[in-house]
Amino acid sequence: MEVATERQGDTLIAKTDGRIDGANAREFQSELESAINSNDGAVLLDMERLSYISSAGLRVILLMAKVLQARNAKFAICSLSASIREVFEISGFDKIISIHPSQAEALAAFKN
Amino acid sequence: MTSTEQSYKILVVDDEPDLEPLVLQRMRRHIRAGRYQFVFAHNGVEALEKLNEDDTIDMVLSDINMPQMDGLTLLEQIPKVDPNIRSVIISAYGDMKNIRTAMNRGAFDFVTKPVDFEDLQVTIDRTLRHMAEWRDALESRDKLVALQNELNVATGMQQSILPTKFPQNASYEVYGKMQAARNVGGDFFDVITLDEGRVGLAVADVSDKGVPAALFMMSSRTLLKGAAIGHALPGDVLQEVNDLLLEDNEGGMFVTVLYAVYDPATKEMTYSSGGHNSPLLVHADGTSKLLSLTDGVALGIVSGIPYGQNTVTLSPGDSVILYTDGVTEAMNADEEEFGLDPLMERFNANPPSDPEETTTVVFDAVNTFAGEMPQSDDITCLVLHCREEPS
Repeated sequence: MEVATERQGDTLIAKTDGRIDGANAREFQSELESAINSNDGAVLLDMERLSYISSAGLRVILLMAKVLQARNAKFAICSLSASIREVFEISGFDKIISIHPSQAEALAAFKN
Repeated sequence: MTSTEQSYKILVVDDEPDLEPLVLQRMRRHIRAGRYQFVFAHNGVEALEKLNEDDTIDMVLSDINMPQMDGLTLLEQIPKVDPNIRSVIISAYGDMKNIRTAMNRGAFDFVTKPVDFEDLQVTIDRTLRHMAEWRDALESRDKLVALQNELNVATGMQQSILPTKFPQNASYEVYGKMQAARNVGGDFFDVITLDEGRVGLAVADVSDKGVPAALFMMSSRTLLKGAAIGHALPGDVLQEVNDLLLEDNEGGMFVTVLYAVYDPATKEMTYSSGGHNSPLLVHADGTSKLLSLTDGVALGIVSGIPYGQNTVTLSPGDSVILYTDGVTEAMNADEEEFGLDPLMERFNANPPSDPEETTTVVFDAVNTFAGEMPQSDDITCLVLHCREEPS
């Protein structure tokens, strides 16, 4: 699992690959925490190259969403493979986190 | 770690005189074997006196309604004497209000009246096992030992809350098993005896590992048991557990739960999902299907949301398999996920008839598939089998 980041305006785009499970969820959390600046207006997690996420990984995403929501920053995820999308659907996370098919659509939604 | 040969002292608090001889009679083998010692008090005031006099008491079993000081007030006082004592409450069936208050005040578990001594025995064992684990946890925190020790303790706590006995019944059978992953884990399951012959079945997966997650797991289990007795509909049960978990959830933990109620009189199984995988229904002829999911969010995330339910009527010979994602997401060396297809194929050739055997089939299939790959998540499987009617 690696987290690669880039910025577009005040939006942080973080791309994650590999697997996020109980063994590396904490590492994933600290990488995201150090990547996110307090003045980022929006954070987008691109999961195109993510192969697996466990509930421990979902918890990190939930924590990020809560932290960002608390300071009125936007948060979304995008480019989920079918199996990752299923994890979000079964857990009900698709009802609490914005999911977009692509980066472009997510970034467009941030502008609204 | 925990020696089951150790002797434990249990304080029983009840104002009615008939409990003392019953306990001594029904528990006589354990008393003779030196496993349990019982001391008795008849109200909260007397109980506190006993606790202050005797610092070797491990556990309190208390009624709620008593003169002078009731069980709920006693619960508040016990931690002031010794925060490591665990308490179990005896309550009237369905008395959700008092059960909730008791749990909020730190009761570890409860049993309902009239007291079923087999159930009481299981509850006492579970409580004492938990207490031993908890003491280990405190010791390891004092010594600042490595994370691995904390995880061992958490795994021990996790094992201590699982049922070890399953209902034996003319019309249905239940069996469940959890195989903990080495480093990660948060699965548990429960089988809850309800009124009118119904039974509640739950499988759950907590999102984190370690002692805080194990404690979250404990409260999830106790809240679920309490809510299961207080509500008839599984969706209402999950809604209540969700709201109670959110009253005190700083860590952002959550738990996915599949909770089902089976009524053998009507053969109806009603179930609700809190962000959990769908149950698998396997018929006597070996055909199977995934039951359609109710779209609930994992518990502990958003308060005040309703949870729906679906009902399915079972036929004699049907099996329902509840499981966690440790089954479906088990991975082999080629990074392929196990899914459910291999199980459906296997059941198609050999329809399940015995829940314990079915559980073994599931675990063997998953373990064989994973091969040398380390188990990355807990694996849990709970099976309900509706017996064939005698012809």
